[in-house]
Amino acid sequence: MATVKVKGFSVVRDVFGAGLVEVEVGPPETVKETLAALLAKYGEPLRKVLVEPDTGELTPLLLVLNGEAISSTLDVDRPVKTGDEITLIFPIGGG
Amino acid sequence: MTNGFKYGGYKGQLLRVNLSKKAVTKEPLREDWARDFVGGAGYSARLLYDEIPAKCDPLGPQNKLFFMTGPVNGTMIPAASRSTACAKSPLTGSLFHSIFGGYWGPELKFAGYDGLVVEGKADKPVYLWIDDDRVEIRSAEHLWGKNPFKAQEVLRQEIGDENIRIATIGEAGENGVAYAIILLDIRAAGRGGMGAVMGSKNLKAIAVRGTGSVNVPNMLRVYNTTLRLNQIVATNPAVKGLSEYGTPRNVLSMNAAGILPTRNWQTETFKRAEGISGETMKETVVKGHRACFACSINCTKYSVVPSGKYKSIINGPDYETVYGFGSICEVDDIKAICKVDEVCDEYGIDLIQASMSVAWAMECYEKGIFTKADTGGLDLTWGNADAMIHLTEMIGKREGLGALLAKGTRDAAKIVGKGTERFVISNKGVDWPGHSCRPWPGTAVGYATGPRGGSHHDIRPTLEKSGMVDRTVLEGKGAMASEVNHWLILADSAVVCHLGEPIWGPAKVNDNLIDALNAVTGWNLDYPQARKIAERQWNMIRCFSAREGFTRNDDTLPIRFMEEPVPEGPMKGSLISKETLEGLKDQYYEYRGWDKKTGNPSKAKLAELGLEFAAKDVC
Repeated sequence: MATVKVKGFSVVRDVFGAGLVEVEVGPPETVKETLAALLAKYGEPLRKVLVEPDTGELTPLLLVLNGEAISSTLDVDRPVKTGDEITLIFPIGGG
Repeated sequence: MTNGFKYGGYKGQLLRVNLSKKAVTKEPLREDWARDFVGGAGYSARLLYDEIPAKCDPLGPQNKLFFMTGPVNGTMIPAASRSTACAKSPLTGSLFHSIFGGYWGPELKFAGYDGLVVEGKADKPVYLWIDDDRVEIRSAEHLWGKNPFKAQEVLRQEIGDENIRIATIGEAGENGVAYAIILLDIRAAGRGGMGAVMGSKNLKAIAVRGTGSVNVPNMLRVYNTTLRLNQIVATNPAVKGLSEYGTPRNVLSMNAAGILPTRNWQTETFKRAEGISGETMKETVVKGHRACFACSINCTKYSVVPSGKYKSIINGPDYETVYGFGSICEVDDIKAICKVDEVCDEYGIDLIQASMSVAWAMECYEKGIFTKADTGGLDLTWGNADAMIHLTEMIGKREGLGALLAKGTRDAAKIVGKGTERFVISNKGVDWPGHSCRPWPGTAVGYATGPRGGSHHDIRPTLEKSGMVDRTVLEGKGAMASEVNHWLILADSAVVCHLGEPIWGPAKVNDNLIDALNAVTGWNLDYPQARKIAERQWNMIRCFSAREGFTRNDDTLPIRFMEEPVPEGPMKGSLISKETLEGLKDQYYEYRGWDKKTGNPSKAKLAELGLEFAAKDVC
């Protein structure tokens, strides 16, 4: 079990109720499990902003793990440990 | 359908106004071009390829300004209020379609026209009054010099109808600022200098009132498509937050990812980003939300700074504004950004190009190339909000340093020299929007090859940014960029909004876009047919550029993106070297069936797409 810090912005921050939260992850302690733990902790309000309704899958996200840019689709098996920080980069569109 | 036109969604008629001859004519929309090029940007490219003489002066009477809707506009389909203003651009020297939302485009259709061609030049300032069938060219001498909002106010009183929709230019358009906009009520055809083209014709405004409707072959089908698409808008994660925060919801996310362009792209991390975030906007200046015609996204904010030196009332700011006048100039005061947004609208200038011009000047000042003797006494230190606002006003008036910056950064750097071209963040004369490409090779080649240069509407970073496509791999990126081009150009021809990217894209022409087109027109397009239309449109635009003399060498990136890696943050070290870019371009041309040496479409490709007529100009 790892305690991972998660940072979010705009509507994600609204769901968290704070800019930075902590979740208990694993085992296994991975990025994938971190995202699953978040969805379990914050339930439907977070599902509404991060899950594709057609597929029920998490929308593809850019993540920052301890300052490194990674992908929610390509790097899901990356290990995490207590004290790690993941930032959710909200799906960015428009301009 | 309407006016006996074969397909639904169309009015079947174009309005043509020759300002030199003071002549107004109505002509049928071509059915074959509607089917082959749809509308909006696609139809515009086909028509203007025939009608704008090669190498003509963009600000001369031979250039034409073509406002064009698409079949989806004016129906209840969401994220589909948009229309195009298209002409040879004074910034790029090639065809440019500037897309705008709001209500003006649908109103033109309700008046009975799919599009409006403006040609020639009036001998004195005029405006057009389109009142359904009745079209008048009226004197605008009393409007000349007025800012767009004042001009709109006068016209509403003069015509006596609060519900008219009005396209106007400001002082910048009258003065030939190369990136002057057309303001359509509160929305803008912002990029490419379409306002300068309109001003060069002595055309101050176009007021429209339409009382008709848009007919579709099967109302129930359009209704069901609308319900389904609105459900996507309501539930898709990528659309979330646009109503609450507008497009500036992106600011903190992008900053955390190290892709918030800062200090004229010297870095992509802004340490004071919180001050310009959507969250700060929501807490401090946003007073309401505004939506375009029949759109359920509601992305536009209405903001008020009630007092003080930055007192202002604006529709915005959008992400591009807080990027350009915020992190790019290192200004962290959202109220100052509201003020400069108001200044840009009142003079009628493109926020992106103006902010990048100011940033270029700030970098020249930082490097000691400009002194106060060059800036008219302005202290152009990064973060000086008051100087930023003042210099923006000078651009609108073409005063002092503003007159140089009014040419665009590329041309300004050519005049100044001294290595200042290294600070130009531009392609084909169009300065960069707030979307990075140094970490994304597919996005980079899309920007480089895009007909509009630095436009995030010829390519989107979404696939590589989200991880749907692996950003670290070069192979396949020419194909990726091409297919993104295709959904974007078909969207720009329907015409639907790119903010609806999750609806219409993001990887290729998708079923929702095809369904929307089929529902309103009565067509039965499948994917290969829709894709072929999009490919034809893209090649048509490329032919226009090729005829103007553009080649492979014009498909490039800013020097900074090819030689200066991102210096900090999660994307530290990212760079698209010249060598990498050339390899990506080879991929792109090969995938498209274009000549790798020239970058032009091949004869075989043109024949495949039914564009044989252009071969004599480009092959």
